[in-house]
Amino acid sequence: MSKITITIDNHILTVEEGTTLLTAATQNHLKIPNLCYDGRVELYGACGLCVVEVEGTPKLLRACSTKATDGMVVHTDTDRVVRARKVALELLLSDHDGDCKAPCTKACPANTDCQGYVGLIANGEYNEATRLIKEKIPLPSSIGRVCPHPCEKECRRRFVDEPISIAFLKSFASDMDMASATPYVPSVEPDSGKTVAVVGGGPAGLTAAYFLRRQGHSVTVFDAMPKMGGMLRYGIPEYRLPKALLDREIAQIAALGVTMKNNVQIGKDVSLADLQKDFDAVILAAGAWSSSKMRVPGEESEKVLGGIDFLRTVALGAPADIGKTVAIVGGGNTAMDACRTAVRLGAENVYVIYRRTRDEMPAEDVEISEAEEEGVQFKYLTSPIAFKEENGKVVAVLQKMQLGAPDQSGRRRPEPIAGATEELPLDTVIMAIGQYPNLEGFESVEATKRNTVAADEETFRTSEEGVFAVGDMTNRGASIAIAAIGEAQKASVIVDRYLNGEAARYKKPYFVERNPAPEFFDKFPKAPRAKMPQLSAEDRKTNFKEVSLGFSEDAAKKEALRCLECGCHDYYECKLISYANQYDVNPARFAGEKHQRNEENVNSLISRNTDKCILCGLCVRVCEEAMGKTNLGLIGRGFHTIVSPEFGLPLEESNCMFCGQCVTVCPTGALREKEPVIKRVPVKENSVSSVCNFCSALCKTDLRFVGKTVMRSLPAGDKGLLCKGGRFGIFSANNQLPPVSPEKLAEIADTVKKYGDSVAVVLGPTATMEELYFAKQHFPAAYADMTEFSAAKDGAKLLGITPVSEYKGEKLAILLDCKKHDAVSAEYTVLLSNAYADFADTQIFTAPFTANSGTYLKGETKAVQRAAISSQLPTALAALAALCGAKAVSAETVFADLQTAYPALANRAEDAIIEKEIVRGGGKYFFNDQSVSVAEFCEND
Amino acid sequence: MMKVVVGAGSCGIAAGAQKVYDALKVQNGDKVFTLTVTGCNGMCFLEPIVDIYDEENNLTRLVKVTAEDAERIANAVKSGDLQSVSDLVISDEDAAFLTKQTRIALRHCGVINPEELSDYEATDGYKAIRKVLFEMTPEQVIEEIKISGLAGRGGAGFPTWFKWNAARSSAGNEKYLICNADEGDPGAFMDRAVIEGDPHSLIEGMLIGAYAIGAKEAIVYVRAEYPLAIKRLENAIKQAEEKGYLGAHIFGSDFSCKMRIKAGAGAFVCGEETALIESLEGSRGMPRLKPPFPAQAGYWHKPSNINNVETFANVAWILLNGGEKFAAMGTEGSKGTKVFALTGKIRRGGLVEIPMGKTLRDVIFDIGGGIRGGKQFKAVQMGGPSGGCIPADLLDTVIDYKALGATGAIMGSGGMVVMDEDTCMVGMAKFFLDFTAKESCGKCVHCRLGTKRMLEVLTRITEGNGQAGDIELLEELCYSIKDGALCGLGQTAPNPVLTTIQYFRDEFEAHIAEKKCPAGECTALVTYEINPDKCIGCTKCAKNCPVGAITGAVKSAHTIDTSICIKCGKCAENCRFGAVEVH
Repeated sequence: MSKITITIDNHILTVEEGTTLLTAATQNHLKIPNLCYDGRVELYGACGLCVVEVEGTPKLLRACSTKATDGMVVHTDTDRVVRARKVALELLLSDHDGDCKAPCTKACPANTDCQGYVGLIANGEYNEATRLIKEKIPLPSSIGRVCPHPCEKECRRRFVDEPISIAFLKSFASDMDMASATPYVPSVEPDSGKTVAVVGGGPAGLTAAYFLRRQGHSVTVFDAMPKMGGMLRYGIPEYRLPKALLDREIAQIAALGVTMKNNVQIGKDVSLADLQKDFDAVILAAGAWSSSKMRVPGEESEKVLGGIDFLRTVALGAPADIGKTVAIVGGGNTAMDACRTAVRLGAENVYVIYRRTRDEMPAEDVEISEAEEEGVQFKYLTSPIAFKEENGKVVAVLQKMQLGAPDQSGRRRPEPIAGATEELPLDTVIMAIGQYPNLEGFESVEATKRNTVAADEETFRTSEEGVFAVGDMTNRGASIAIAAIGEAQKASVIVDRYLNGEAARYKKPYFVERNPAPEFFDKFPKAPRAKMPQLSAEDRKTNFKEVSLGFSEDAAKKEALRCLECGCHDYYECKLISYANQYDVNPARFAGEKHQRNEENVNSLISRNTDKCILCGLCVRVCEEAMGKTNLGLIGRGFHTIVSPEFGLPLEESNCMFCGQCVTVCPTGALREKEPVIKRVPVKENSVSSVCNFCSALCKTDLRFVGKTVMRSLPAGDKGLLCKGGRFGIFSANNQLPPVSPEKLAEIADTVKKYGDSVAVVLGPTATMEELYFAKQHFPAAYADMTEFSAAKDGAKLLGITPVSEYKGEKLAILLDCKKHDAVSAEYTVLLSNAYADFADTQIFTAPFTANSGTYLKGETKAVQRAAISSQLPTALAALAALCGAKAVSAETVFADLQTAYPALANRAEDAIIEKEIVRGGGKYFFNDQSVSVAEFCEND
Repeated sequence: MMKVVVGAGSCGIAAGAQKVYDALKVQNGDKVFTLTVTGCNGMCFLEPIVDIYDEENNLTRLVKVTAEDAERIANAVKSGDLQSVSDLVISDEDAAFLTKQTRIALRHCGVINPEELSDYEATDGYKAIRKVLFEMTPEQVIEEIKISGLAGRGGAGFPTWFKWNAARSSAGNEKYLICNADEGDPGAFMDRAVIEGDPHSLIEGMLIGAYAIGAKEAIVYVRAEYPLAIKRLENAIKQAEEKGYLGAHIFGSDFSCKMRIKAGAGAFVCGEETALIESLEGSRGMPRLKPPFPAQAGYWHKPSNINNVETFANVAWILLNGGEKFAAMGTEGSKGTKVFALTGKIRRGGLVEIPMGKTLRDVIFDIGGGIRGGKQFKAVQMGGPSGGCIPADLLDTVIDYKALGATGAIMGSGGMVVMDEDTCMVGMAKFFLDFTAKESCGKCVHCRLGTKRMLEVLTRITEGNGQAGDIELLEELCYSIKDGALCGLGQTAPNPVLTTIQYFRDEFEAHIAEKKCPAGECTALVTYEINPDKCIGCTKCAKNCPVGAITGAVKSAHTIDTSICIKCGKCAENCRFGAVEVH
């Protein structure tokens, strides 16, 4: 082949003649999008994404099939190309039904991956859950306690019974993490040399500081109050959020290297202009600290307090002499915090005055109920029209109201009933009707008509260069903490880019969304939401102890298991969504009929969702062309074309060998491994290369894990091939098996010692290379099952181990390598055990590597070693070796020895699978119940 | 002996030709005259047709014959005096339908008995292949085809010699010649007529092609919906094999070629050559990426040549008469003749073969007799679902690949669907798109989803739910699909929509902006009303209304309850006073 020169987007490339443009680009690290291409199968050309323009050719050409010719000039990013790709993506997405992300995650103003951490909690991965939460929220223990959780309002579990307790699970995970031996420590980039001033140490300011610090910037937080935390500290009462806990979370942020300066007021102690001069960027996040006024006569009385002023006074530990009879005006969460604080301060009659009814109250329902339990009296449909001071009391003149037509917020508008008033003598009135920012010191920044700081919603920029603003002090004013956190988190990305000299805008990512029909939820069994254990009303109303006692680990896991897993399990690998955002799609313009087949998954290992299929045909083609099978096919025509297993039967009833190639090549979530975990959860996985040890073939695998949980085993060889055992058998990794008892091992060891040289070891048909090697090294007589069906056959041959058919009657200890521990192989184990009973005195069942110590596995496989922590016993074989006085060798040693001694091992693996699975029609006997019985193959031996 | 020939193509049989034949057979029990059949002569609008030849071979053509006419026809033939059946004799005007044509591909159709090899042989049959085998090299054959200027008649109009030459030049000994007889365009039946009426000319044309490219196997891919064509072709192949015209050492030469039929399973896309090959191989009919072209890697990845039936039907004639004679007909860029299937609102519908260079007006008005029922011509759809419509002011466009292409339509395989003033052009575009959307194989994104979305937009327009911007959205989708679709089916699917937008944009706008269908065809957009001034109260409309929406007393004006009316149009059809008005 001769070399030719082509130009792709001004890159001059030298490639082999006959190379396709796609290959030429890929070889040179230039990206051309594609959804239906895979090197192992024939060209197909369905997706239309790889189109490019070639100079001198009027038509768009598919890069996958266009061969490079000398001097060709190719453009991959012209307007026409981009438009064509965009239309192709929009068309695909117009018939793609699913949820890229779960509704909870999208509802969260900070886009916290709720489904992700809930799923991780279900799997007991608390550190990982916390790590995931802290990608979005730096204060999860605090926020989990106080957040009004918009996520739960969107949780689809509510269509089955009740939403998942997402917020409490968040604080649970974070509490567990903090209490663990190895709490999560976020990574920090090397110092950037840039400096950022954050004004305000509340949720917004701390969030901005956290994320910008993690980007390597030097961050200083200025706060007017004595301690950091803002409204979390001075607006949320201790009984809802213990401040010791908040202190710990703030300390974790400080530990990243954030400088925190308290008692600094802008305009007094330091000017904004100074900050602008001294720092590369300034983020304003000072919050909204002034109580709103009703503008009624008498409101200026000293006995009429502002809601947040009152809460701040209490939080600061200052005396708050409110008397015995107190009324709180307002119906929001601040009103609830104020009335319940008043109860705890000893007020005997605490009223809440609200102008509408309970149904319209904006406060959390649980807050209202808890206030009622604590004896707070609610005066609905009343509104103060004046306050009078009489006899040392303040008398509230209350206007009775009735509900009229709904207003803009959808709530019915309260209207006064003419002449109906009531007088209520009180010691103190607390006005909790709202709050607004105090912009003193920020005069240089442009304000809105609402007297908040005007900040661009996509750039967070203010009128001042280099000054950004987020949270309660901006635009629409005060909102919930998580909204401020969300803004600060998005702004920190923009500010980071700004510090790097880029003008970035926040852009809401595109996600595919679905609206399941009500019937969809019928299939889920009902399971009530976990109740948060609480102090009783009597136990809590006299003190500021935390009311919620927290979930037990069992309760939290059980609650997390209720998650319906709305978000796509393939989100992190889906090429479609990645291209969709890259090409800024708007599929809504092609909205029309969408397939919602809602097909049930009919096999235990692979999740199929035809509503997410883009008909790239890769699964069908890889099955036929790479594997020589026809388990999948295309049926139907046009819009209604669909991929279906042969005859529409479950894959398990077809000739499918579960190599999982179809899953590997699927570019979307249409095909996905059913991860063998307690709760499936879409998260970014870690990867570690390993070697499968289901048999002696030595297939390379790419083990995917999160924390200690092994999620998937992916092929890593040249042909991308693993057999069913290697690909899907790893579920044993997460299921601990009962180890052989020490007594039994001791007994065997005695036998071995007693018989000395006359001991033989027989390795079963699925013995691994390491086991074979180990047995050969350490036992004088080693035999292996080398029948036609034995997976260990080739390995044993290679190592020169004697076939078991030549066994002449020595005393025998047999190692049976039952690598799979579902019901089928348990049965198999029994069969095998019976088959060997005639000449076996003793049998040992070795466990798969991941279920026990990593002795026989490649040592650097972190995932496996972590997975093994929970099991204290080493493998039976190693234990036996130790008891017999032999030294258990490390996995590295075994592998190094094997590779040196037998270079042929390197390329043996995939050929072995192909030979075993395809040429011999499937090595089914140890993976499938419709297989050759063990007795049969023993007879063959 | 007098000869009576019954036209027994599918069209004739559908009109009752078999019954006529059977009745004539009964009448001819004494075998006084010769009774035989022939294929379709193209005058489908006059079927069943019975041709009577006297001893001097003078023809008397009887049309719209019924089985009841058999007895008097037989008697007339036996008596030798045809005066008694003069009422059945074709009119001079209708007879001109044929005399104005120039027939090469259809030269034997309606003339010879397609089931008799001897008939074909009697009209120079198998002389061309004999000549080719003993007097010409394959290169000379290709050269002769090149001189003729013959281009693919299946639609794309690619020079035939070029494809043959490419297949011939491709390396390898194993090559295939394939005939594409998967005629799937709605309203097209040229290929069926050739196979039913003259199967041996297809066989001979294919043999010449096989010799030219070096193929030893020829396959006819014919749609299973053509059972009569398959039967007659099977019969013809058997006859040819028996005579040694097919198989080993044809005419004792070194050339061997076998032939077989593959019945398609009814997918339009299998008319696309690479999808056809997939289907031949037993796979799902889905197009392959090109390149490689079939001439390089086709059937079983061997060099293969695929031509349409009509293309092959011209080949023997060209070899016998010389390429130059063929090239003498037509225009600069388009040589020879072309067969069209004339259908729709046309007076004389059927098969028309004329030299290239004639105008559309010649075909539609001169030969076809214009529009039925005195209505106005509105447009003609050329090339079926892959083609486009051509409006009245372009009727003088000459029949030439380039000239037709310039209108936005295509020559196509020869479908010509004529539309009159009552045809809604949006509805027409929707009809063809509905066809392509359903026939899309589903492989590529643009065709599978693009045509679906276009169809949805067109549907909402015809239902009165069109939105501002829909025309632009359609246009964008059209150009995207043309650019992005994998095969000809998808790439040409937007043509009917693009041309209707180009020539009848105002109709789209009326549907969208005013929620009106100017042609009154979109039922969602029309209302039926009875004009009380015209209604005489005959009650006929009420009696014919299938849903009882019309009420009124005898001899007084009736009214239609629009809430019940399903807009079927029965009332208007049945009203003799023009009182039912469509708004």
